[in-house]
Amino acid sequence: MQFLRMRIGWLLAVFLLGTTQGQDEAYKKGPDSTRKPGIPQGAVTKAKWTESKVFPGTVRDYWVYVPKQYDGKEPAALFVAQDGGGFVSEEGSFNAPAVFDNLIHEGAMPVTIGVFVNPGSIPPVEETSKARSNRSYEYDSLGDLYARFLLEELLPEIGKTHKISEDPRNRVICGNSSGGICAFTVAWERPEAFGKVISHIGSFTNIRGGHIYPALIRKGEKKPIRVFLQDGANDLDNLHGNWPLANQQMAAALKFAGYDFQFVYGEGKHSARHGGAIFPETMRWIFRDWKEAK
Amino acid sequence: MRRWFWICWLAGTLGAQDMPLSQVLVEGESWQLMAEGYGFTDACAADAEGNFYFTDVKNGTGIFKMTPEGQVSVWRDGLPGVSGLQFGPDRKLYACQGKQERLIRIVPGSGEVEVLVTGVRPNDLVVNAFGSVYFTETKTRQIHHVAPDGTHRVAHQGDVIRPNGIALSPDQGTLIVSDHGGKHVWAFRVEKDGALSYPQPYMTVVTPAGTEESKGDGSTTDAYGRYYVTSEVGLQMFDPTGRLGGVIASPAPKAVSVEFAGPGLEWLYLAADGKIFRRHTASRGILFQAPPAPALSPVATPR
Repeated sequence: MQFLRMRIGWLLAVFLLGTTQGQDEAYKKGPDSTRKPGIPQGAVTKAKWTESKVFPGTVRDYWVYVPKQYDGKEPAALFVAQDGGGFVSEEGSFNAPAVFDNLIHEGAMPVTIGVFVNPGSIPPVEETSKARSNRSYEYDSLGDLYARFLLEELLPEIGKTHKISEDPRNRVICGNSSGGICAFTVAWERPEAFGKVISHIGSFTNIRGGHIYPALIRKGEKKPIRVFLQDGANDLDNLHGNWPLANQQMAAALKFAGYDFQFVYGEGKHSARHGGAIFPETMRWIFRDWKEAK
Repeated sequence: MRRWFWICWLAGTLGAQDMPLSQVLVEGESWQLMAEGYGFTDACAADAEGNFYFTDVKNGTGIFKMTPEGQVSVWRDGLPGVSGLQFGPDRKLYACQGKQERLIRIVPGSGEVEVLVTGVRPNDLVVNAFGSVYFTETKTRQIHHVAPDGTHRVAHQGDVIRPNGIALSPDQGTLIVSDHGGKHVWAFRVEKDGALSYPQPYMTVVTPAGTEESKGDGSTTDAYGRYYVTSEVGLQMFDPTGRLGGVIASPAPKAVSVEFAGPGLEWLYLAADGKIFRRHTASRGILFQAPPAPALSPVATPR
């Protein structure tokens, strides 16, 4: 078994070298993304959401991060990540709990409750069947369905036991790839609920119609949302669209419409490495005036 | 190991398999006309030998069989108005005979007709590996279920405006229904007792400019879990996660039924405009009457 595991490990290593070699390797996590001695550590608890009315039949894992500094007296800021399992993992590209511990301690971001949500899937009835992934339906679709899932179902539940700020300036939504466009869609649909968006390698392509956002941004009244976008020149070019071009279109549209935004355009591929490497800086930027917002 | 798990998980979620048309269509090959001169071809079906079955709902009186070589013969005469066909695990041919307001099955050889349900107007059907039949009744917005023991019930009603084409995932855990009057293909979970749960507008169909009526009609599935649905703008292909993979142009207007048949089930057959067409593909179909199997993974496309 051990031998088999090692072989799987090597196979994976070869596969990953093939897919993330070169440009992506330059992006490495920095000191703010790792645990530092003497910094208060927040607590992460895992839970399962099984009773969705917005997405009937789906089940999903989610994690809640509560920083040590949270005392339940003052409302905390909110950070919600899609594909949350990847963000909350200590070994992942983001290690968000460590980043938050470090930045909250430093005062670069407010005391923030982190909610890390996985996409739903509809479990199979027969063991031999496969769960039906609901990720594309939830993340790539335009409209307010996913926002409603967060705002009417998941966040009210977490709000029962945590005091969370209602001020959209204190509420960030984040994601990678389809989770990136999903984060943007939530803020676009409900800017009164989320005033800050972080998208890494966002799928602003025609998976389910999301390629129209640049046009909507240009011809729409400016919404009060702050947007951070990251993409890389070697990101995907496939049947749904061209990710580097789509993200450049997004950045150009946000600029044209006068949004408060930042676009970091690197050399990366369709991976979380670049977004993960700069994640602490991204959080500093998105929360750069948090003390005023308070 | 945990680390590998997360890296692998992230790679998996970020790089959900892309399924462009190039995975299915063969460069340089197009539709071939196989048969013509019918009023309204429909009810595409296949058997394990690669024979293809169809009807002429408008003018025909029976069920036609086309060999892989293209020879057409009458397989069973005297059954007009059949709009949906599929072999069951019992090797009988199940048929929607809307004009006669009944669901029937035909015994091969003797041609004997067994009546399963009367007083309904079935449009299209699917029979799973265990002999459960699901059929659409377009005007009543209903999807019916007939259990292997013959118990009949309405499994779903209401969400699909004009339920029409019907198919299963390769593992038969998901049932899909096209909506002739809407822009979605709906997905349901198939419960142990055959009930359909959690209706969801899982796929969004391309519609002509100015309308949300897709004319979504005949539907089928390939071994990779891709769904194919005929529509006003052509044959639309979706990946197993419901994302549109592309639209295959129809060689004639009014494409209404589609099936994989022919040698190795590698050929897409299409009923359109009173004709039958087929084209070779780089994929292959599945027979729902055969035991369920997990969907195959496509070879990654070079990037």
